[in-house]
Amino acid sequence: MAEIQEQGGGGGKDGKARSKKMSTKVDLTAMVDLAFLLITFFMLTTTLSKPNIMPIIMPEKKDINEEDLEATKESQVLTLLLGGNDKVYFYEGITNAVLDSTDYSAEGLRAKILDKKDRVKAEWGEDEKDDPKNPGQKKMVSKLNVIIKPTKESRYKNLVDTFDEMKICNIGRYVMLDISTQEENFIKNPAGGLQFSVEDQLKAAKGAEK
Amino acid sequence: MPKHKPKRSAPSLDMTAMCDVAFLLLTFFILTAKAKPQETVTVDTPSSISESKLPDVGTLTILISPEGDVYLDPAGSHARKALIETMNATYSMGLNAQDQRKFVNGGSFGVPMNQMAAYLNADAADRNRFPKGIPIDTVDVNKSELANWIHQARLAQFNYKKEMMAEGKEVSEYAIVVKADQNTPFPAVQRVINTLTDINVNKFNLITTQESDPNK
Repeated sequence: MAEIQEQGGGGGKDGKARSKKMSTKVDLTAMVDLAFLLITFFMLTTTLSKPNIMPIIMPEKKDINEEDLEATKESQVLTLLLGGNDKVYFYEGITNAVLDSTDYSAEGLRAKILDKKDRVKAEWGEDEKDDPKNPGQKKMVSKLNVIIKPTKESRYKNLVDTFDEMKICNIGRYVMLDISTQEENFIKNPAGGLQFSVEDQLKAAKGAEK
Repeated sequence: MPKHKPKRSAPSLDMTAMCDVAFLLLTFFILTAKAKPQETVTVDTPSSISESKLPDVGTLTILISPEGDVYLDPAGSHARKALIETMNATYSMGLNAQDQRKFVNGGSFGVPMNQMAAYLNADAADRNRFPKGIPIDTVDVNKSELANWIHQARLAQFNYKKEMMAEGKEVSEYAIVVKADQNTPFPAVQRVINTLTDINVNKFNLITTQESDPNK
């Protein structure tokens, strides 16, 4: 790698004592490799430090109309109650609701949502909406409405995972609302049934009950 | 006569110049990597398949620790300066110019307003002893410190944007970003979301780490 050339030693024939001058050459290839490695490291870490975001749009408190909520058919609604210990409770519709529970795995929550989505599609078909990615074209959107109500035992990760599932399962219409005491009781006592009406749902959505 | 082959020495390349260029580039990247002021609380965000990136400038970060304490971090020194001046005047926090400068150069903060002066003058070790988190009043949003901070921060950035637009420069308004830990209990997040909707901020973003999309 490094070279050492001797010069001046050849002049020793004169009889005068000459010290050997040595010039050294150091091969800088390794240094350059190191420098480029460091550059690559810094280039990548500054771009990696930008985290991803998940945009959320909350409904304005005054915007919810009676007509909007009542026009939705009961059988098109799936309500998810996010419980503690990473458990999700869910029920369909409002009248004669039956509480079931699952977890956040792909076979759990995702399977249940997709199953409900297929049943809604079989019974009611799908909606045709303008495709924002291909202007002028339409895309089919599920009629399924999902209401997400986290309980106070749930953690933030549960909420983000649920929003994520909405995106993965391609659910167009979902909203996060406050959980009501009737639903909290329903979780504690599923056999007791759910005493919750559309008017209660409206009041909860408008935030009248705090 | 024997032909003398021309003496060939092994080709050697002088790498000095290449090395200089490499270190110049390195220096450039090190200097453009912005130094972050020390985070007051470490947050482990949950993952999602979302691939939207955080906007470059103009973010108001709301940090929620695993214990449910709320910290705020408005970006941009202009807006921070205007913000602390307004808050100091409106809520009589008793900050002098030096304290205000410390605020502008600092990172996220999470103390009640009446403790802000003492907090800014304390060093890193003492800062841990202050009450953690900005108080949130769930009953009356007008008295809620968090709501007032967010409202004034957005106003400060909006005024800065107007000033820059008069000079022909593009500045965006604040994008509200919520950075909460995976284990933050939901009621803490709910209080923040309710504060935001009460002051008519209905669009915000949640920070997540990347998760692979099962559909792809």
